[in-house]
Formats: sequence, structure tokens, C-alpha cells
Amino acid sequence: MALTGLQIYKLLPQTNCKECGFPTCLAFAMKLAAKQAELSACPYVSEEAKAQLDAAAAPPIRLVSVAGPGHRVEVGNETVIFRHEKTFYHPPGLFLRVKDSWPLEQVKGAAKEAMDYTVIYVGMNLHLDGVAVEAASGDPETFAAAVKAVQEVTDRPLILMASDPAALKAGLTAADGTRPLLYAATAENWQAVAEIAKSANVPVAVRADSLDDLADLTEKVKGAGIQDIVLDPGVRDPAGTLVTLTQLRRLALKKNFRPLGFPIITFPGEGASDVIEEAQLAAEHIAKYAGFIVLDRFAPEMAYALLAWRVNIYTNPQEPIKVQPGIYEINSPTADAPVMITTNFSITYFSVANEVDGSGLPGWLLVADAEGMSVLTAWAAGKFDAEKIAKTVKTTGIEEKITHRKLIIPGAVAVLMGEVEEELPGWQILVGPREAVDLPGYLKLWKSF
Amino acid sequence: MPVEIPVEQWPGRVIEETIGANPAEGGTRSRVVKVGGENTLPFLFTDGEMPNLPRIAIEIADRRPTEWSPLLLEAWGDVVDDPAKWAKAAEEAGADLVLLQLSLTRDGGNPTTAADAKALTRAVLQATGLPILVFGPGQVDADNELLVAVAEEAAGERIVLGICEEKNYRTIVAAAMANGHLVNGRTAMDVNLAKQLNILIADMGLPLDRIIMDPTTASLGYGIEYGYSVMERLRLAALQGDKMTQFPMLVTPGFEAWRQKEAKVGEGVPASWGDWRQRAVLWEALTASDLILAGADIVVLRHPETVKRVRTFIERLMAK
Amino acid sequence: MSRYIATRAIRGANAIVAEAEALLQKALAEKGPDTPVAFTNTAYYLPVIYAMLSHPVSKIGDMVPVLEYAKSLLHPPPDEKWWVPYLGETLDCGMATLLAEEIIEGIRFVYGEQPERYPGFRMTGSASFTSPEFETGEEGGGYLNGPIDDIQLRSWGIQLVDGRMPAFAAIVGAARTNRAAVAIVRELQRRNILVFLCGNVNGRSIIDQLHEEGVEMGYDTYIVPFGRDTIAAIYPLGFATRSALTFGGLKPGQWREILLYNKYRVFAFVLALGEVDDLKYATAAGAISYGFPVIADTVIPQILPTGITRYEHVISMPWEEIEAETDEEKAARLVQKCIEVRGVKVKITEVPIPVPYGSAFEGEVVRKADMRVEFGGRASRAFEYLRMVPMDQVEDGKIEVIGPGFEDVPVGGAMDLGILVEVAGRKMQEDFEPVLERQIHYFINGASGVQHIGQRDIAWIRISKTAAEKGFNLRHFGDILYTRFHADFGAIVDKVQVKIITDPALHAEWLQKAREAYEYRNRRLADLVDEAVDTFYSCVLCQSFAPTHCCVISPQRLGLCGAYNWLDCKASYEINPTGPNQPIQKGQCLDPEKGYFTGVNEYVRVASQGKVESVAVYSIMENPMTACGCFECIVMVIPEANGVMVVSREDPSMTPAGMTFSTLAGMAGGGLQTPGVMGVGKYYLTSPKFISADGGFKRVVWMSSFLKQTMAEELKKVCEREGDPDLLDKIADETICTDVEGLLAFLEEKGHPALSMPPLF
Repeated sequence: MALTGLQIYKLLPQTNCKECGFPTCLAFAMKLAAKQAELSACPYVSEEAKAQLDAAAAPPIRLVSVAGPGHRVEVGNETVIFRHEKTFYHPPGLFLRVKDSWPLEQVKGAAKEAMDYTVIYVGMNLHLDGVAVEAASGDPETFAAAVKAVQEVTDRPLILMASDPAALKAGLTAADGTRPLLYAATAENWQAVAEIAKSANVPVAVRADSLDDLADLTEKVKGAGIQDIVLDPGVRDPAGTLVTLTQLRRLALKKNFRPLGFPIITFPGEGASDVIEEAQLAAEHIAKYAGFIVLDRFAPEMAYALLAWRVNIYTNPQEPIKVQPGIYEINSPTADAPVMITTNFSITYFSVANEVDGSGLPGWLLVADAEGMSVLTAWAAGKFDAEKIAKTVKTTGIEEKITHRKLIIPGAVAVLMGEVEEELPGWQILVGPREAVDLPGYLKLWKSF
Repeated sequence: MPVEIPVEQWPGRVIEETIGANPAEGGTRSRVVKVGGENTLPFLFTDGEMPNLPRIAIEIADRRPTEWSPLLLEAWGDVVDDPAKWAKAAEEAGADLVLLQLSLTRDGGNPTTAADAKALTRAVLQATGLPILVFGPGQVDADNELLVAVAEEAAGERIVLGICEEKNYRTIVAAAMANGHLVNGRTAMDVNLAKQLNILIADMGLPLDRIIMDPTTASLGYGIEYGYSVMERLRLAALQGDKMTQFPMLVTPGFEAWRQKEAKVGEGVPASWGDWRQRAVLWEALTASDLILAGADIVVLRHPETVKRVRTFIERLMAK
Repeated sequence: MSRYIATRAIRGANAIVAEAEALLQKALAEKGPDTPVAFTNTAYYLPVIYAMLSHPVSKIGDMVPVLEYAKSLLHPPPDEKWWVPYLGETLDCGMATLLAEEIIEGIRFVYGEQPERYPGFRMTGSASFTSPEFETGEEGGGYLNGPIDDIQLRSWGIQLVDGRMPAFAAIVGAARTNRAAVAIVRELQRRNILVFLCGNVNGRSIIDQLHEEGVEMGYDTYIVPFGRDTIAAIYPLGFATRSALTFGGLKPGQWREILLYNKYRVFAFVLALGEVDDLKYATAAGAISYGFPVIADTVIPQILPTGITRYEHVISMPWEEIEAETDEEKAARLVQKCIEVRGVKVKITEVPIPVPYGSAFEGEVVRKADMRVEFGGRASRAFEYLRMVPMDQVEDGKIEVIGPGFEDVPVGGAMDLGILVEVAGRKMQEDFEPVLERQIHYFINGASGVQHIGQRDIAWIRISKTAAEKGFNLRHFGDILYTRFHADFGAIVDKVQVKIITDPALHAEWLQKAREAYEYRNRRLADLVDEAVDTFYSCVLCQSFAPTHCCVISPQRLGLCGAYNWLDCKASYEINPTGPNQPIQKGQCLDPEKGYFTGVNEYVRVASQGKVESVAVYSIMENPMTACGCFECIVMVIPEANGVMVVSREDPSMTPAGMTFSTLAGMAGGGLQTPGVMGVGKYYLTSPKFISADGGFKRVVWMSSFLKQTMAEELKKVCEREGDPDLLDKIADETICTDVEGLLAFLEEKGHPALSMPPLF
């Protein structure tokens, strides 16, 4: 049974020294209880308390990080099985695999194309996370050359893939100064691989074809002094990954089963025959519990879809996606086109924008900063009141873009009409429909208002 | 080290429902389709069973849907001018079900009449042996008028009538009761609203195995996570034994994906969006695949290529 | 049950069964047992017989066992001298009557006597009979309707099931006059009620009356003439029976389910016009088995207790005694009574006023310059008072303006106004009065050009010049309230009447009464303690974003958003039984101090999808209630001070916990149980049950100044109740300190009681 924040508080020094980064011991205790902090952040906790708290306080899935010179990816430390229970915290790293058996130019070209790729989605700049270099040649030097080549085109983290410890070692040397993931320790090579990982202090993936063997292996690797472990349970098809990854998540969270309490690496390309199929499989892994996803194919449309999906799934359900406040032009509006206002909750924005867009009618959509709340919620919380509406109208500069002075407010906040009139002298305030779906019909009649 | 695999056995089960009636059951369908019946989260066969794989419905319009993406019109070709031919083409494209979407107006702008709706329903029933779903235009008066006519015309065929919403479900449910059909009830991405509508429909006396729920979803990139989580929650509630959530779920990823620019248009979009044709299918296929993982029992699709993709994905997930 | 009625009904049943037997013998002899028998265009054979007995009659011989069964249901009339129970006997005889009547009509079909010939009569629009033999009459007419065919059954059935057609009326007999007949039928039509006609009084039928008056009858006008004798009443009952089979999914033979289906889902009633003879009593007994009450316009004994029907069984409302001037008014009263007795809900949606109406106008402001007249505010007094009164003291839809209108008030002037709304309803409760009364604000605000502020005796209403020019007057307040209370609260309100009072004497009198009522309600609210009820309510409105959160709302702990108290939830549940507020049976009290109840635990476990195992309703330290994110305040333990702080949503400042409201909100919200942190509604602070398990209000050591100021009055009373009138001054706020050190110093200085209370943990 997990300890509550109050129970943990009793075991802490209660000095409010703030060195853990939290304002009070109680706040820190609450974070520990929510498994969002590490006990090691407290420098003064007694050994006795530590022993008591350790079991309860350590995250059930270890946080593992990899890093290149310019980027860092952290995965693991998840606390729930379903995102609605709280949220998923650390999005899986999306890596592209290249092979050292390819001509170097091809290696560089493929890595560069994928790493240079970027797409803007709801105001965020999204990109893939790194490159997995596979020692397909079997030759450590060729591998090292490929690793070097990749580093020339990207500063993102690497995954070094080889079954031969010598190749791994060569690759690691080539990637000196970064923190790659070594892939993979197996029943055959684990001692050597663990030794390499330990000396370089980098995380290592372990691979076995059954959970029993996998647990054996992680215990051995742990015994060799490695803490940062990543799991490859060896499954590649959609049914196998779904079932196995679910079982791993449950073992970690529900049973607090330490031997398998680590992030998972998957290879959707090995279970797919083309881009779309690989994307479907990768999408499954994003939703269902992968920590690192190594792709074998790259296409911009595939990257865009997967990156958007990853944002969607890892959005905190209790802190919805916001869109940028401001003016949105829909269907090339002119100075006499209607002006609507709504909030910056993404779903609200999308519903409204989609309906106006679909109607084919031009319009100016003002988006107020309502802290990402929907119209009614924001209104109830005082984040979308007459003052906020007036401020949005005044600060966005919409007045310079239009010749009329009519503002459509959402029907759900019809009560604000009078107050908005007060706040915006010279404007006529129109009450629009309650639901976005009724906007096209409303806009058709707009000229008559 | 032997690892004890955690198994979750649930007290609840989704109701298994039959869509379509063959001649022995008073209809004319050459195939009937069963949906639901699972007592596990999707595809977790170590926990329970999923007797019916998720089904694919292809949406056809009752007249050339000029507002649809040119890619879709191109993929279907001339059949979009004739719902009967389209229904047949949908069957050939691998659909399990055909969904006829009625429009508010006919070509030329005249309102769709009850007689039109009957004729369209009849034509589609004659053209395909698959079970069908018929959805009204989504306006209260029109839905009530047209769906009652559709229900009568298809009496005995065990079709699915939609869409029941909280503001308008009574007439559609009554028409389903009178003619032996199922209904699809839609609510706006909220567990309790979905449950409430289910209760209201059940309260009217429609047998529970004739209720399908549509919790509404959104496209990939446009709020899908809400629909996804609501579906996961509804399914968890069903498995935990909440009777009023134990209905198969229908969602419309085809409609949702194809109204977004990512699928709909090929010009005036960022280069980083990549190849239009592949992106469009990808957008619909991923939206559908993701919702299937969340528990969808019926996905309504639009593009024939997506149908193949989603079908393969489902079959691979069903491989035990 | 009245012995008089029982006697007459049983006598009538015996007679009609004998008649059926004679007719059956005759038919067997003349036509032979193999002669086919069928009602036209139905798949349900003789529907009542088929449904009740699962016995399909397709030839004359098939009727023999039916008749035998009917005979077995007969009983002798009650003894004159000795009282014995006779309800069961009477209902049995009623059923025997229906079986006999259907046999008779079946045989009449064989003889071509059904549908009934009626020379000169022609049905309007699409006739029922598609069979060619009935089309050969004079000009395709000459017949009454006979049974309703299956196609029409489905079409009307859908409308009855979906509520567009609220009910059907089976009228038996004849009205006093032709004019009365027309008035009654028009009144039913006006309310969309389907009208079935049959029977006669001394040979004269309402069908004759309507025919003479030129009333169009037929499917298209929703008036169906079945036959001019009482036996034809079997057709409406056959219609009801088939509804249960078609729409209720019931099978023949499930007689009990079929009768119950009719009781709960088919809103039908029998309106007996004119003298009621034995056969009518017997047939009525059959109808009562279906849950259909009988309303007579003559003097007959009433059967008021409920049971077989939803409300009263038999009601007498003699035509001559109905208080009304015209036949039309009498008809309206009579039909209103029928509707009440059957529990029919009539939907009204349009608000009949001369200005636009809708939620879009809720926020309109009427400025002084645009104002025609105002009520309340500085220059006059306005109040609104809604009260519940007995059913018979409300005339539904009556709107009275008592006193002058505002015509004589100068433009921009003011006048006194009282709005008295009187409601009655079988599910109405006194506790709902304030809940409904608060709606007046929203309802009146929906009118374009009308502004409403405040409530109770601080109401303030303005009417704009534009609205007044369009003809908006005082009466329209009544129209709005009448329509909206029916439309929005029809589940608990059956009848509404409104009095708009401007007469000075009456205004003063009612203002006084209203104030007494407000005061009474205040006291009632104060008396409403958790121990006094056995039901709490849930609120899962917020599960859309906090899926595992479930508010438990008790009389002494309102919802954490502050918007829903226990009474609101109770009313909300009555209005919307499938909605977000559900009753929670408290069950066994496991710990009165901490507030553990078996019922609450069970409910919350399910509602939180297994996330929350148990809730201590009165504690912050142990299994506290979860929160969504809508809380007005956050309460958090300050261990160093042995107390708690209360931070209000309006307070952006730092707190002694080292976190601001928004950071704390992340900890308190999300539907997770976090001992030591809790989101609450601010009025919970004033409840004697406020963290009472942990020491109550005396634990509060720090509180946002916003709360101290805005709730000064209420909090002062709490301090007095806690026996420490100066307590509020001992509680710190953000202007005094925002850290623990400062807080402790302040508490020491002021001698705050928390410091000497038992350790929190």
C-alpha cells in the first residue's frame, strides 16, 4: 500500500529547508506520494526513514535518459495505465534506424533528412528524437564510422545497436561525450555489455524472448551495477506488443515488480511491410506503453502523424492543449466579415474554426487567453468575462482590420452581453449560437443582424 | 525467474448485438454481423475473450457528396452518383456494413422527402447483402420524418438507425421499436452523457441488445485524445459491471479525419505534411486504428484503401 | 372500490358474457366453426384475446374456449348485506367483459355488421379500410372505422411513444349538447390528444353529435369513430394492447406485463359522457386493468385511492357543476382533469410574448435612458415568491394581474411589483420552492428588452421602451413563467398559475407573507442536518475532466463548486432522474465523527471506477473527499501550526504552504484522494460539519482575506458558535504573513486555539 503525503511527511526532517526544490516538507511529501519526486532530492532524510520510504517512494518505472550533445530524451517514470487516471508524463523517444552496412552517404542522408524534419503543430515545433545506428556489417570500425557520420549531421541522442560487445565499445568511443543507449544485452553477452555500460555510465537495453528470461537478465545486469535499463521483450507484431507491453506496465504499476520496472523499446518497422503499416504499429506503441520507438522508415507524412499522435496521447487530460490567443483568419476575411470570439481551449477553437471553415464563409476568429478552458468553464472560473473579451478585442488590433463594430459572443455566455457592451463602447454585441455546429447557419444570416 | 503475469478478469461484458437479419429471421441480408460481446479490454486475450472483431462500416452518401475530398471522389469513381452502385462497391471494397448517410436535400435543392428516403433505403438494401446503417441528416424534424420512413421501409431487416441524441431520440427509438431495428446514440465525448442517453433510450423500452453508443470522437491531431479517453473509460465502466455502458461503441473516424485539411486537401498546406495521398489515408487509418485500441466495435470509414489497412491491422491484432 | 360500482360492473359483465355466448351459439349454428374470423389489416388476430391468452382466433370455433375462459372469470354481484373484498372480482369481470366484447365484434365481422354501417357518413382523408369490400359503400363511405389497422398503429404508436402525442382519450357515450361535444373534442385536439369515439346514451352517440356539427372525423384529424355502442370500446383497448406487443417487445400471453406496459407507458383515459350503465361500468373495469382511469361527467361514486391506475381510478366531474361560463371553458376544465388523473405531461415550448425570447437575451442590460419602467431597485419594491399549493387550488395557466398596469407610470418611472407563482404537482415538494424560485431570474431575463437582477424581495426588473412599445406588459411575466416552468420543470410541476400583484394593499400583504416564507426557509435550511436525512446526493458533473471524482453532497456539506447544495441536488434528481445528481443512501453509519457511511463508500467506489475505496465526509486527514478542479477554496494542513489554511480561488498571493492557489490546485484536484489537502465550497466553512472530525473551524489558522471580507457576517456567527467570538481576528491572512515562520509568530501572539489543540497527526 502506497504511503500518503501525510505519512511521508512524518518521516521527513520537517525543517522546510527547501533544498529539495519544494517550498515545504509537506509539499515535497505530497509530490513523493504522487511519485513525481525522488526521495534522493532530500539531503537530510535519515537512513531509517529512507529505508521505510524507499519502497514506497521510488517510481515503479525507472526514469531513463539518453542524450546527444544538443538534446536529451527522458522516458519512464509513468504512474498510470490509462492516461485519464492522471496523465502520461514522458513521451516515448522516436528514433530512426540506419545501418552501418549502407554507404556512409546514405547513412548520413537518411539521418539528416529525419533529424532535420520539423513540423509545426498547435504552435509547437515537433521533431523526431534521435538516430539508432545498427552494426549490421559486423565490423566494429565500420560501425564506429557510421556513428561518427551520424553525429556529423545531428546533435540528438543515439541508440547504438550491436550484439557484439566489441562493436558496441567502438560505437561508444565514437560517440564519446554523449549518452547513448546500448542495445542490447542478451543472455549470451550481458556481462560484457554491462561492463561497457557501467564504465561509460550509459543506459543499456536488455533483450529476451520471454518475460521470465527478461526478468532474470535485468536482475543480472542490475547486479553488475547498472541502474538504467531498457526492456526489449522481443515481440514485434501488433497483438504481441499490445499484450506484452500492457503486462509489463501492469507488473510495474500494480505489482511494483522491480525486475521489470523499466521503460520499453520497440521496433515497429520489423513488424510492418510499408510506411502506413509501420505507422499503425508505432501509433499503438505510442498509446500503449513504449519508451523508445525505433522506426525503419521515414516519410514526412508519417512523422507528422506520429508526432501529432504522441502530443495528443501525452497531453495532460487535466490541462488541455491551448492554442495561441490572437486573431485567426478563416476563408480570407475582408473588412466587412463577421468577428467572433472564443476561448483558447484547443477543442473549443477547433470546433469553432472547423465549422466556420466548413461553411465557406469568411470570418475573423478572436481567441482569448482563457487559460485553455472551454467557454463555459472559463466563464465560470472568471477567465472569460467581459473584461477579458474587451481586452482581447482591443489588444489584438482587430479594430484596424475591419470597418464594422459587431462582435459575436458565444451563446453560452449570453449573460455577458450587457457587460461587454459596457466594456466596448461603440461595439454592437451579438449573441451567437450555443453550439459551434450552428455557426454556419448563423453566419449566413449575419448580414441581417 | 518465473514472472507471474497479471491477469485482469472483469465482472462485466459488452452486450453482443446482431445487425442485419437473414431470410430465416425475417430480413433479406445474405450476411448478418455480430458486434460486441467482449469481456476484456481490446485484444488482451490473456484477460478474456473478444468473440467479434471490430467491424468496418463504409459510409456512402445518398447523392454525389461534392463537399468530400477529391481523393475520395477519385477513389470511388462514378458510383458516388448512385447509392445502390456505391453500396455494391463498398461491399466489394471489404466492408462489413454499409452506412447510408441521408442528406437534407436532393440534387437541385429540394428537401429529401420520406419517399426519397424509402427509395434510397430500398435501393441500398437491394444492391448489397450486407447489413446496413442509415443516418439522418442531423436535423431534428428531418431526422424524425426520414428515419421513421426508413424504419418502415426496412422493417424486419434489423438495420441501425441514427443518430439519436439527447435532444432528439424518442421518435427514432420508437421507430426502431416498431420495426425491429437498432439505434445508434451519440453524445459529446462525455462518459456520463453517454450513460445518460443510454438510460433514456433503455427507459423507452428498447431491448438493450438493440442499442449502440457513439461517444463521438475527433480526428488525429484535432482532439482525438478526448474521444480516446472517454472510450477507454466507458469500456472500463462496462467491464466493471456498469450495465448502462455495456453497449458496443461505434465511431466515425472517416468523417472526422476527412474533414481535416491533413486528409482533405493537397494544396496550401505546409511541405512538412508530406505526400497528400499517403497522408490522407494515413490520417484516416491512424485515427481508426487508435480508436480501435480504445475499444471501438464499429469504425465508419470512407476511403477504400483505409478499409484494407484497418482490416489488416484488426486481423493482426486478433491473431492470438 | 365502491360496492355500487362493483355491483354494476359485475352485473354488466354477466350480461355481456351471456350475450356473447348466445351470439357465438348462433354463429356456430349458422356459419359453422370453420368460418374464418378476422379483424381487418392486423397481424394480431383478435388482439385482446390474442395478447391476454396467447390464443389466435382465426375461425369461429376458436372462440369457444375463449368464451369458456371469460365465463370462468365471472363472479356473482356482491352480497347486499355482507361486505367481502370485491376489487379482484370486479377486475376479473372487467376482463371477462373485454373478452366477450371482442368475441361479439369478431362475429359481427363475420356477419358483415362491423365496421358499423352509418349511412351518410364519410371519413376524412385516408380511410382506414383498404379492403375493397368496404370501399363499395356510398361514395366510399357509409361506415364507421372499426379496428385500427397495423400501419396506423405503428404511425400513431411512434407518436405516442416519442411523446409528440401525449395521450389518447376513449370517449364513451354522448355529451350534454352538440356544442359540448364539439368543445370537448376540440379541447383534446388542441392538446394533440388522439380521440377515440364510441358508445351512446339512450341511442345517441357523440359520433352523431360531431357528425351533425360537421366535425371531420378520420385518421387525418386524429378523431376516430369506432362504433355507436359501448362494445366498440374494445377497439381502443385492442389498440393499446397491440401497442404493448409492437413497442414493448412483449409476447402474447404476457398479460401481466402487457397491462403494466399500458399502465406505465400508454397514456390513455376513458371519458364517460352521460349516464353510465352496467355495460359501461363493466367495460370501465376492463380499462382500469390497463391502468386507464375513468372520468365521468355525471354523478357517479368516485374511486380515489390509487393502485391499479397510477392515480385515482374513477373520478366524477358532473358537467353541470363545473365552474365555468361557457361549454368551451367547461370542456377545458374537464380535459385538464383527465390529464391530471392520468398523469399526462403536455409540452409547451413557445413563450407567447410580443418580444423575442431566448437565452441569447439573458445578458441584456436595460439602461436608465432606454427604460420604460422599473420594479424594485431604489425607487420601488419588487419581490418574487414561489409557493407550492394543493392541486385543486391551482388553475393551470391562469395568469392574473391584480392592480394597475404600468401604463400610468411616467416613462423612466418605477412601481411596486409582486410576482407570486403558485405551483402544484404530484412530485412537488416544499423543499423545491427555493430551487424553482431562483429560476425566475433566468426565465424573465430571457425576454428581449427585460432585465432581471436579484431575487426574493430584492428583485429588480426593468422593461425597455422598445419592449413596452412592442406591447410587453405585466401579464407577460406570467406567460413566461407559466411556459418555462412547464417546459423546464415539467417533471415536478403539473400546474402553474401566476399572480402579478401591483395593488398596494395586496402587495403589502403578500410581501409580508413572502418574507415569512423566506425566513421559514432560512430556518429550515439551518435545521437540515446530516443526521436528519437518510439520503445524500452525488454530483458527477465534473467527471468529464476529473473522471474519478464524485462529489458527495449532504445537507451540511455543499458541492465544492459552491453551485449545488443538497436541496438543489434533490430537485435536480427529481427533474432529471438519469442526470448527474443521484441519491446516495447513507446506509449504515460506521463512524459518526469522521463521517463514514457504508452507502457512501459503496457509491463512491463505483462512481470513481474503483479509484476511491472510502470517504470520510467530515475529515481532511483521513480519506478526504476528492476534488475535480472547480473548488471555491482549498483547505490544506499546515503541520507546523497544528491547523489548516483556507485559500480562496480569488487569492493570487503566496500562502504559508509555500504555494499559490494554482499550484495547490494541481495537488487538490484531479479526483485523487490526498489526505491533508481538500477542495471545498466556501459555505462549507460555516457548516458545523466543517472538518469536524479534525477539530472543526478552530483549526483554521490562515485564510485568504477575500473570504474574511466577503463572508464576514457568516464567519462571525461561526466564531460565536465555536465559543470564540474573536477567533476571526486570530486567523492570519496574506496581508499578515505568507510563510510558516510569520504565521507561527502571529498565532502565538494572538493565542490561536489551534496551538493548544490535540496534535493533528
